Amino acid sequence: MQIVINPSDELPLYRQIMRQIVESIAGGRLKSGDKLASHRELSEQLVIAPLTVKKAYDELEALGYIETQRGRGTFVCHRLPRVNRADQRDQIQLAAMKLLSQAYLAGLRLSEVTAILKDADREITGGARKDKESA
Amino acid sequence: MIPVLEWLDVYRSFQRGVPVLNGVSISIAEGEVVGLLGRNGAGKTTLINIAMGMLFPERGSVRLFGLSPMEEPVAVKKRVGYVSEDQIIPSFPTIGEILALHRSLFPQWDESMERDLLDRFSLSLRSRIQFLSKGQARQVALLCAVCHRPELLILDEPAGGLDPAARREFLETSVRLLNREGTTILFSSHNMTDVERIASRVVLLDAGKVRLDRQLDNIREGTCMAIIPRASAPDPGVIAGMPGCLRVREAFDEWHVVVEGSRDSVQERLTAVLGHNGIRCVALPLEELFIEFLGGDRL
Repeated sequence: MQIVINPSDELPLYRQIMRQIVESIAGGRLKSGDKLASHRELSEQLVIAPLTVKKAYDELEALGYIETQRGRGTFVCHRLPRVNRADQRDQIQLAAMKLLSQAYLAGLRLSEVTAILKDADREITGGARKDKESA
Repeated sequence: MIPVLEWLDVYRSFQRGVPVLNGVSISIAEGEVVGLLGRNGAGKTTLINIAMGMLFPERGSVRLFGLSPMEEPVAVKKRVGYVSEDQIIPSFPTIGEILALHRSLFPQWDESMERDLLDRFSLSLRSRIQFLSKGQARQVALLCAVCHRPELLILDEPAGGLDPAARREFLETSVRLLNREGTTILFSSHNMTDVERIASRVVLLDAGKVRLDRQLDNIREGTCMAIIPRASAPDPGVIAGMPGCLRVREAFDEWHVVVEGSRDSVQERLTAVLGHNGIRCVALPLEELFIEFLGGDRL
């Protein structure tokens, strides 16, 4: 997968890396058991300090998204962190209301917001989850 | 653990009564990458020259690996790589001859790294020094500074005067060194993007003192800037006295205030004190932080 960073973004570099890996897992572009680039490869590819990559990986490991196998590398976990569906639903509902009020204040219509969501879906999944959309 | 590099209450002046460094203490641990920032004339180069044993501190002390660079220069220099701001390459005819000298000086000289870097920088051993471009001269200086596998690398404005491509190559080489050797790096720079890329910690030097010394992530996540219309806070003393306030600066008809805390929490705290009066909190990229701390109109 391709990770892109922006050093002057307000989000710290390690958070930018974390967010993109979690998005890829959520969107299905990274699957359980997939191997991630090593600290060294990623830091040289992005031209950032290896400690920054390590920090991102350590946090993701603590959250249960990835695991490091000694001598073999870092992989996406087979059992991803389980979330409480009911709990999440409430939070997503809140986020949706916030999103809609922001959109309506900016003069957007519901159909335009749906189009934005579909764009975001393509961005995040790269088409990897098409099957589920029709289900 | 002994710090790799430590300045303790260092004081130095070049004219009586005009200190360039006025009680500076910084301690750098193994594996850290520290960006040293400050305006021109803030004392960055003086601080580095003291660490390299080229200047003595009038007060205070400096230690590298627990050793004094003035009393044990050989023991220290074996373990340090250094590229100065205005690197003057010794007047040898060719790159090959400079490298031969370094190889004979350092028994631990790494010839495969030397070949690797020559190749990477597209430098030839037969190239004549006098015809090198500024960027190439920097690359030769870097090569000389790293092939003895130093534990500490000190770079004074390493990218000064380099074009963007040469600068990126310089950074790429530094990242490789970090990966391969776990080298500790101290570098001074005016390029905030470079600092944001590779530094884990930032030290801001101003008028001979350390103004700010923090982890970069902590700056990003733990500070923000509040913009307050002056009409909302006629007395800046009230703002300056608030807990977590690091700096207040006057900018036209607003106060720019650097505050510790996330944007939401700072907004909440300020609103509680000053009411809803057009106060807004924004993120603070390093470049802005530099300007807020070192720009004019300080209170």
